[in-house]
Amino acid sequence: MNEAGVLLKLRSVSKSYGATAILHNVDLDVRDGEFITILGPSGSGKTTILRLIGGFTKPSGGEILLDGRDIAAMPINQRPFNTVFQDYALFPHLTVEGNVGYGLAVRGTPRAETAKRVADALELVQLGPLGKRYPAQLSGGQRQRVALARAIICRPRLILLDEPLAALDVELRRHMQTFLKSIQTEIRTTFLFVTHDQEEAIAMADRICVMNAGRIQQIGSPHEVYYRPSCEFVAKFFGENNLISGTLGPANGLTRAIETRAGRVLCSVEGQPDMAAAPVGSRAFAVCRPEAVAIGDEAAGENRFVVSIDQVAFAGASTMATASSVDDPTLSLKARIPSRPDGSTLSPGDAVTFVVPANACRLVPA
Amino acid sequence: MSGRVADAATNPGAHVGPSRLAPWLAMLAAYAVPVFFVLAPLTLFLGYSFFSVDQGDIVFTPTIANYVRFFTDPIFLPIFWRTCLLCLAVAVLCVLFAFPVAYFLTTLRGRRRYTLLVLLLVPLLMSYVIKIYAVRSILGGNGMLNKALLATGLIDQPSMLFVFNLNAVLLTLTVLLIPFAVLPIFLSLERIPKALRHASADLGASGAQTFWRVTVPLSMPGTLSAMSFVFVLAIGDFLTPQMVGGQSGFTFGRIIYSQFGTAFNWPFGAALSVILAAVVIVAIRLGGHAERRHGGAR
Repeated sequence: MNEAGVLLKLRSVSKSYGATAILHNVDLDVRDGEFITILGPSGSGKTTILRLIGGFTKPSGGEILLDGRDIAAMPINQRPFNTVFQDYALFPHLTVEGNVGYGLAVRGTPRAETAKRVADALELVQLGPLGKRYPAQLSGGQRQRVALARAIICRPRLILLDEPLAALDVELRRHMQTFLKSIQTEIRTTFLFVTHDQEEAIAMADRICVMNAGRIQQIGSPHEVYYRPSCEFVAKFFGENNLISGTLGPANGLTRAIETRAGRVLCSVEGQPDMAAAPVGSRAFAVCRPEAVAIGDEAAGENRFVVSIDQVAFAGASTMATASSVDDPTLSLKARIPSRPDGSTLSPGDAVTFVVPANACRLVPA
Repeated sequence: MSGRVADAATNPGAHVGPSRLAPWLAMLAAYAVPVFFVLAPLTLFLGYSFFSVDQGDIVFTPTIANYVRFFTDPIFLPIFWRTCLLCLAVAVLCVLFAFPVAYFLTTLRGRRRYTLLVLLLVPLLMSYVIKIYAVRSILGGNGMLNKALLATGLIDQPSMLFVFNLNAVLLTLTVLLIPFAVLPIFLSLERIPKALRHASADLGASGAQTFWRVTVPLSMPGTLSAMSFVFVLAIGDFLTPQMVGGQSGFTFGRIIYSQFGTAFNWPFGAALSVILAAVVIVAIRLGGHAERRHGGAR
């Protein structure tokens, strides 16, 4: 990893309240200019990471390094970061302009400059004409933009966003995702975004850091965490997935077989040295996405499962077929196949073959 | 459940009995108390204020002579204004003392907060007269204040600055009314979300900047209602000036009191009371208005 491109480093950071540990030895590099998303279910410690970086709480152990200097003891107001809070935390007694200009006002910025930068920031978040309004007179999406403008106006080195879209309805949320991403690209500032929403994380992030129970499970691009999960939690966390339990066979270059009750499954271990090196006979899961499954004997792929269709669910563009393996009736497999306009599809009870190429199968430890 | 709803909908007559009468009874009970015990006496006073007294007997002929006397007699208006100013000063002093206390209270948690709160509220349960005596014993010639000042050598003989004059009234009222100011301020400080202080610090504000730019403005509704609260309580008080005010500490409340007592001029006392009530209503409205205005921005 390029040291020079790293803005902030978390080194074995832990946090506990009394006997309750919230974070266990978290290591995380935030790279300069990236949009990094901390993703996890509630209670996973994702917001705690943000609060530690923002200075709202102190770590119980480990270091938070900014330019190689530990900032664990640095007061909130001296950190070159700004936060977009979950409920926006706009000052109710100040107008939109007052809120946005707050960071400049407390630094004693001259009035004329403040006014100009406030106008620019409001222009950037497309709130130009609403400067004289009070937060109570704004919609949820508008408040969101004020909070964002207020955070970016001080030109921080890092913007922390604590589930800022959680309170918005679905449509507005989609819109704000695109909007936030475009702002981030425009101002080229590092964004650290905390969310529990997988789709949101995938839609916006350059990198996703998946958390569970106070530990980082995997850090990677959205594509990586989606298609190349490194553990069972991540494999199950992003939508529907196929996990086939078995014992590892011998490794063979970039592939490795796993013996399951539904037969031998050949998986790719490319970029997974620990899975390639795991002892033969240890428990593992073969993981493959339903959309990687092809149906029919003529389909190409190393792994074949003879199955009987249980359920067919039409979901618009795609259709999800759930089937049980003939060799292992306890194994349920899902295939996401394109829907056809003429309505022809599978029916429950059909005996078909699910075909998955080895390069679409990954291994995760059980 | 749904069956009963359907019954009620198709047969509205079935619910006329208890459900129509009960709200009326409740309303009657709710209005009867204030009407009979507050509104009626006030109206009676308003009526009395338009009568007059002749040889100790009340003359029931409507006249505005009492009000004319208040506005023309050189005694009453100055005392009225002086009392208003005094009570305003009490209100300001109370808020100045109560604010730090309330702020400190918000920083406490659990048992310690509860203990301090109870300590602040205990005086409210005590007899008013006892509290006045207690304060008088502190301010008096041989009181703690004078003894302390003598001991430090700041003065060489007991000062009479703090007893039997307006200063004494001011100080005593302030001491007695501080608890009433602490509560509204405390509540409004409590209502300020912690996230706002975090947001302020996050944007680079120091602790002092956050205090002046966020905490103080957002506590204004409570602070202003505390001021109007204290003002109203102080202006209606006649006992404190009576007991610690001496000859020079004459206030509007004492004048009203003397009209009903020594002077035995109920109609004039009633007129003065009506004027006092008007001032009180204005003060309450101002406090309420400020609260709505500042609360509305939320």
